[in-house]
Amino acid sequence: MLEIKNLHASVEGKEILKGVDLTINDGEVHVLMGPNGSGKSTLSNVLVGNPKYEVTEGSITFNGKDLLALPPEDRSHEGIFMSFQAPTEIPGVSMTNFMRAAVNAKRKYFGQEPIPAGEFLKLLKEKRKLVGLDAHFMSRGVNEGFSGGERKRNEIFQMAVLEPTFSILDETDSGLDVDALRIVAEGFNMFRTPKTSAMVITHYQRMLDYLKPDFVHVLVGGRIVKEGDASLGYAIEERGFDWIKNELKDE
Amino acid sequence: MSSDMQSERQYLDLFRTERALFDAGSCAPLNACRKAAAEALERHGLPTTKVERYKYCDVPSAFAPDYGLNLRRVLAEENPYDTYRCGVPNLSTSLYFVINDVVPPTTACTAPLPDGVVVTSLCDAAQKMPDFIAKFYHLAAGKNYDGVTALNTMLVQDGILVYIPDGVRLKHTIQLVNISAAGGNLMSNRRILVVAGRGAEATILFCDHAFGEQHFLTTQVVEVFADEMAKIDLYSIEETSAVNTRFNNVYAEQQAGSRVSYNGIMLTCGQTRNQLDFRLLGPGAATAANGAVIADGNQRVDNNILVDHAAAGCTSDLLYKYVLDGQSVGAFAGKVLVQRDAQQTESQQTNANICASPTARAFSQPMLEIYADDVKCNHGSSIGKLDETALFYMRQRGIPEAEARLLLQHAFINDVLQRVTLEHLRDRLSHLVDLRFRGQLSKCRDCAMCH
Repeated sequence: MLEIKNLHASVEGKEILKGVDLTINDGEVHVLMGPNGSGKSTLSNVLVGNPKYEVTEGSITFNGKDLLALPPEDRSHEGIFMSFQAPTEIPGVSMTNFMRAAVNAKRKYFGQEPIPAGEFLKLLKEKRKLVGLDAHFMSRGVNEGFSGGERKRNEIFQMAVLEPTFSILDETDSGLDVDALRIVAEGFNMFRTPKTSAMVITHYQRMLDYLKPDFVHVLVGGRIVKEGDASLGYAIEERGFDWIKNELKDE
Repeated sequence: MSSDMQSERQYLDLFRTERALFDAGSCAPLNACRKAAAEALERHGLPTTKVERYKYCDVPSAFAPDYGLNLRRVLAEENPYDTYRCGVPNLSTSLYFVINDVVPPTTACTAPLPDGVVVTSLCDAAQKMPDFIAKFYHLAAGKNYDGVTALNTMLVQDGILVYIPDGVRLKHTIQLVNISAAGGNLMSNRRILVVAGRGAEATILFCDHAFGEQHFLTTQVVEVFADEMAKIDLYSIEETSAVNTRFNNVYAEQQAGSRVSYNGIMLTCGQTRNQLDFRLLGPGAATAANGAVIADGNQRVDNNILVDHAAAGCTSDLLYKYVLDGQSVGAFAGKVLVQRDAQQTESQQTNANICASPTARAFSQPMLEIYADDVKCNHGSSIGKLDETALFYMRQRGIPEAEARLLLQHAFINDVLQRVTLEHLRDRLSHLVDLRFRGQLSKCRDCAMCH
């Protein structure tokens, strides 16, 4: 599904990623761990095409396509979704209008007509109920006045409507917010199929418990320095990153 | 442009040589004010950018080209009531036209007005109710010198009177459609007089349109007299053309408990300037001025507002939002003056600007001048770019960049539209704003408010 090769990327002229290699197959859940500044969020931003980040070397292919050649919106249409750690407020753009624009853009990308109004409202209602988001949120501005938990629920709601095949769940610092982790993890599991994959950024054991990842990668200084199964994650939760850094020094 | 340009000279000369024609094509109350206006203009000239209120607007350059005037009051061949289908879906209006500065004879097809309500040309009104027109005409506009108002007063030949007697509440919106259309470059000078009696209520919608490739220069002076407890809502939609220059000076005098709102939706123009003067003369009067500006290309939009709190317990609320793209220039200056006896004044003004391109420019100047000690006044202003974080969030969800920009810009302007109390008009304006952002606003022969 996703193949990252020798990826170098910088932000504001500073190189953050210094040669990342990572392959994620259909149906797999990968957890990405690493100390602050190691490049976790740079990697996820590069995957979704955030224009603030510049790729200087390397390649990313997604289902055989050159991902780096696609603008962010086309990456979304191809099935990539990012659940943001701190979803932004968009005052004045109602959830309904926002979702209609998103759904119709995707349909247009695949040569389909815009979704009929009745069908669209039915779709929203159905997904809303699944994630437990009240109807009144649909007429509010996107994330406008939403609580932390409501914003996370809204991310999952959008995921449910857009049905991505590869999700990036950015939960770097939300460890203290037990609800947020649970909402995102349970939400992902609810819509998981044998085809859907995820890359999860987290430090927290609870997330490992919920998602039961197939692989754990440790990013230090812009490179993946250690890989393993879920047990590696638990070890880091218990012991931190220093022992890994020490191992690196010894090599 | 330098102050020795003397753009007013050609108009003064024209007035002197053709005075008889001006008078013949007009009526006594308007003719009575010309001479003094000409003398004042001769003395003070058109305002240059050294005049505080005009510092963002180059008036002499705007008036320098040689425009024609329709001094002989030639009527357009077409009757606009037959030709233009204007209307807001689900909003029934009493519809009137002004072609350039000529008021064509009214034919049927407008919503009927209640007894006593008068909507007619000033020249017609001057025949039927001369004392009334003589009493109110130029009463508010003549108090302080303004070069553009003086020029208008010197040259104007007709306009519209809207009179709503005491206690009459108009059910239907009065819609005044100003159409600029001519075979050559043309200057038009219009006058609007709105007199609302005690407790009278009315909504008046101005639509300004320009057709064809000709250059138009328009001056319009609007005087509004709101007696005690009267409620007047004014809406102005500008949808003209890139070669259209427009100066609109509005003077509102408000008695106790009256409410006047002015809502300007500036969609397309070359250069437009709206100068609003509100005088709150009786206690408990309320003023609201709202503006939505969408400009691109080389458009220039200048809004200059003065609210004079002369009585106690009055409120004023100003909200102006600009989205500026291309090389457009937007200026906002709002001044709230609270006089010594205007205790318990509540006032707020907000001006927010988005420069959507690096070459667009915004000037923002909210001002407070307070001589009373028990008041609640605040003002705020901002100039910024579109929210990049929100833009990226939308693109991640698959919304193409252009569409995402459009949604954000529309949302930004929407605060102003939300202040439109007539639901159908609000929906229509929202639709027009959307079309404008998409560059699909039709330059059809029917006005843009049409179906």
